[in-house]
Amino acid sequence: MLDQEKEGKESETQRTDRFKKLALRYSRHFKGKINTIPKVPIRELNDFSIWYTPGVAAVSLEIARERDLSFELTGRWNSAAILTDGTRVLGLGNVGPEAAMAVMEGKALIFNYLGAVNAIPIPVRVSDRDQFISVAQSLEPSFGGFNLEDIESPKCFYIQEKLQQSLTIPAWHDDQLGTACITLAGVINSLRVVGKKISDSRIVLMGSGAANIATARLIIAAGAKAGNILMVDSNGVIDSERKDLDSMMINNPWKYELALSTNSERVKGEAVNAFRGSDVVLSASRQGPGTIKEEWVSSMNRDAIVFALANPVPEIWPRQATDAGAAVVATGRSDFPNQINNSLVFPGVFRGALDARATGVSIDIMLAASMQIADFVREPGPEKIVPTMEEWELYPSVASAVASRASELGMARKHGSRESFYKSAHELIEENRNMYRRMLEEKYIKNLPGGGENE
Amino acid sequence: MSDEIEVRKMKDSDVGQVIDMMHRLKRLNQEFDPTFQVSDPPVEEVRESLNEAIRQEKKHILLVADAGGKAVGIVKADIHDRIYYLPRQDARITEFYVMPEFRRRMLGRKLISELYRELKKRNITMVSAEFPSSNLIALGFYRGLGYRNIVSVYGRHLEES
Repeated sequence: MLDQEKEGKESETQRTDRFKKLALRYSRHFKGKINTIPKVPIRELNDFSIWYTPGVAAVSLEIARERDLSFELTGRWNSAAILTDGTRVLGLGNVGPEAAMAVMEGKALIFNYLGAVNAIPIPVRVSDRDQFISVAQSLEPSFGGFNLEDIESPKCFYIQEKLQQSLTIPAWHDDQLGTACITLAGVINSLRVVGKKISDSRIVLMGSGAANIATARLIIAAGAKAGNILMVDSNGVIDSERKDLDSMMINNPWKYELALSTNSERVKGEAVNAFRGSDVVLSASRQGPGTIKEEWVSSMNRDAIVFALANPVPEIWPRQATDAGAAVVATGRSDFPNQINNSLVFPGVFRGALDARATGVSIDIMLAASMQIADFVREPGPEKIVPTMEEWELYPSVASAVASRASELGMARKHGSRESFYKSAHELIEENRNMYRRMLEEKYIKNLPGGGENE
Repeated sequence: MSDEIEVRKMKDSDVGQVIDMMHRLKRLNQEFDPTFQVSDPPVEEVRESLNEAIRQEKKHILLVADAGGKAVGIVKADIHDRIYYLPRQDARITEFYVMPEFRRRMLGRKLISELYRELKKRNITMVSAEFPSSNLIALGFYRGLGYRNIVSVYGRHLEES
């Protein structure tokens, strides 16, 4: 291992420990991260007669007459539920719904800060996947969209698909769809940097969990040839003759479908066999370093693209990958260039889906989001393939791409031009940011205890 | 695509590929029901059993789907005497497997059609299929071909004393 990266790893561990201590301390202090406050004027208590009974009865009757008016006469249009069963929370595993709440509150905070979405965390205690679906279906009338979060694979595929088939609002599973979108955006710009086409590229997906299965499906939709994709899991390269295929068919039909359609060369054996002669490696695998070896990268084609997305330690350190011949390297970390981060996707996707009152999400909508994220980077370079979260105008631009695509696909209740969707999303997000800033300045949001030093 | 695939009688030279498919079939059954825990018998034992079945043409029908010289599907039916019932003979399908990448091409139905053709030559008018009750894929396949449940076999492991 390189000295500076060894040091980097140690400092990353220390940094993580410091943030964990601060999170515990601040959580004790603030007792929750989000709040609900009225958004209508209450001049005197008599105004309750407008916002509540008796006046509100007229609003209820209007919605009873036409259900979709709930999107116009209540806050449903801007409300998303963050649903989880707590079975795969971060890297912690099955910690249960109570423990998941802390994480879901954090997600809700990002939803609001970056996308001006009113996101409500709802961890639920359910016994199986069908009960989860039943609970979600029951909640549909209250929300404009569902963000499914931290649900174990392959249950997450079943739940997302069944929900999207049965609901008339989007059911987005961020671990799959969000990750796939930002990965594709990164791939598009990486290929622009090295001057290759996705349709000619041989792409290895190392790790065959929820994220990479969704990514494989999305990159095929974006023009990659299925036969040029090689999936790798803990048993090696997946090919249609592998002996565990029947087990895969029963236990993970989503992975099975890819096993049948990918790897037309019938590459078999260890991961290294897949790397040889490949153009792109997208790894969402076991933490490194050393999960991807330098000689594997060296065996790839010229101008190799390597995404090492395991956190906190990537499968190979970026410097090692470039030394071995990689032209573009991305990780999941903020302290290296090219951070592949879902937070660049979901706030904009939900802003757009909610603005269009979308009836669902589809692979076409995901492609629109990915293309917009890629195009947002004006001049892609080896160290700039995706935007950063600081570039907040990314979010209205993604929102407008999503909303207008939903409208074109007949998956919207509200229609408009891309420009009009951009304008409304921009205004909402900017207004929300300004309001938050004012609340901080006016100390309605209290300062962090102890001076709030992060360092 | 199944047009390019020929269904023919199994030959001794197919046995190696057929053994692989038989193992896959048994492991699939185990996925559905742990009662069918795969024992991984010695290859030679399986080979001998298949060679014997090929030789005993009157008692067994063994067909393979051949894709460019490679066996990619099998059906094995055993001919049973039903001395108390009519018709007096029954062909019982005991092994049936198609390699994953050759599925969804009606190859399974093609294997069954060829089996029926062979049964017709032998004037056998009754056919049945034996598979683990919990194998929902087999259940759906045979139901789709008009089969119904005609015999039930119940089983359990005995507790060790």
